[in-house]
Amino acid sequence: MSGGSLLAWRTMHGVSRLLPIVLVLLTWQAASMTGWLPASWLPPLTAVAMALGGLVVSGELATNTIASLSRAGAGFGVAVVIGVTLGILMARIRFVQLAVEPILVMIYPVPKPALIPLFMIWLGIGNFSKITVIALACLLPIVVATFNGARSVDAMLLWSAQARGTSERNLLWRVILPAALPQIATGVRTAIAIAIIVLVSSEFISSDSGLGYLIFSYGGVGADDAMLAVVLYLALLGYAFDRLYVNALRRVMAWHAFAH
Amino acid sequence: MRYGDGSNAVVALESINLAVAEREFVTIVGPSGCGKSTLLYLVGGFLRPSSGEILLQGRPITAPGRDRGVVFQRYSLFPWLTVAGNIAFGLEEQRMPKAQRERVVDEHIRLVHLDGFRDRYPRELSGGMQQRVALAQTLACNPQMLLMDEPFGALDAQTRRILQDEVRRIWLRDTKTVLFVTHDVEEAVALGTRIVVMAARPGRIKEIIDRDFDVADGEEFDANPAFVELKLRIWRSVKAEVEATRA
Repeated sequence: MSGGSLLAWRTMHGVSRLLPIVLVLLTWQAASMTGWLPASWLPPLTAVAMALGGLVVSGELATNTIASLSRAGAGFGVAVVIGVTLGILMARIRFVQLAVEPILVMIYPVPKPALIPLFMIWLGIGNFSKITVIALACLLPIVVATFNGARSVDAMLLWSAQARGTSERNLLWRVILPAALPQIATGVRTAIAIAIIVLVSSEFISSDSGLGYLIFSYGGVGADDAMLAVVLYLALLGYAFDRLYVNALRRVMAWHAFAH
Repeated sequence: MRYGDGSNAVVALESINLAVAEREFVTIVGPSGCGKSTLLYLVGGFLRPSSGEILLQGRPITAPGRDRGVVFQRYSLFPWLTVAGNIAFGLEEQRMPKAQRERVVDEHIRLVHLDGFRDRYPRELSGGMQQRVALAQTLACNPQMLLMDEPFGALDAQTRRILQDEVRRIWLRDTKTVLFVTHDVEEAVALGTRIVVMAARPGRIKEIIDRDFDVADGEEFDANPAFVELKLRIWRSVKAEVEATRA
């Protein structure tokens, strides 16, 4: 494929990805305009967009985005570091697996936002308890993915390295970790979405800043269009992060055939 | 060699007694499940024998080592490294200086005719090219002995022939000791100066046959009566084992 047509193909591909989203938004607007969808049920898209514009102009959106993203980023970062380490340890050391796996399996289905009140008692109502609960929620998919990835490294790949004189330590860094990377990357992708979900939940419960706080406070005073504007913004933010992440992966892991 | 314990134990290999001389090319052929790969993994040091011992130049084998290079049917290459990266892997582990390493890598890329593919990743290469890289990766570490576990088993007939000739040429050039496992009787005769026929359940050596003629690159095997005769003899021997395990 020539450079020009490849670019055209990629642009087309990008547009076709957005098409379903555009269709949903258009249907929403059409339903509002024809009167099928009363504004008391759902404000028209145009009203939500206007409210979003207002939030951008006032600077409210930017300030609260920064507050939110620093919380989510901190929790997510901690989860990546601990999650990958723990997952590898579980896969390599039988005792660690036996000790940790039952606890993880038990914690996994617990809705993490339900633990927020408890964390607030232990850690205070500030950022620390929010970051902790985000980290915990993000940790699980990363640990599980890393564990599965590191455990399922083909024995022959390890043998192949050992026959080339690789030490135990280098085996970990040079073989097991890269071999597990595609699975780790998938766990991290799940964690990105979870970070946003738990972030907003934690800001609902107690906060004076952040996007969750905005949703909660506008919802509380019946400003449905502004509330929905923040929800829509969060959806777009999540989508943008996911695309950025996947594109970065494609670049960094050019050796791997990605399905998405 | 046993797998498992108690009543679940499987005897994979029994009473194997095989001496391989230096610079010999030994092929091991037999029905699937006869433990021919297990035997190779034992020599590689990847598995430990449950009884008996394997000596390499008088010393027992206890672990994998650089003196024994291995090529598997698959999974010999690291998917995240390029052709050059894969070949350099073992050299980096040996802490070879960079300039020398680059030279050895280039030399081995040329050896297996992969000039121009230096910076490709394994998934961008055909199965035959991947096995060439695996061969280069192993040869670059300069092992005394090559262990090959059905390295061409997943390749098409033409590619297999080309790579067989290449392996024979490399063996003639470097005169390394080669232990080559295959289920393909023609391959066993085409490459091995000595052919070990194995029997299954439990895996054991059925017979060892010396090939008393030479095989040349690109030779038409069917036009060589001695080749045809030996191939037929070994094929019958293997077939009898396949039938015995079915019964």
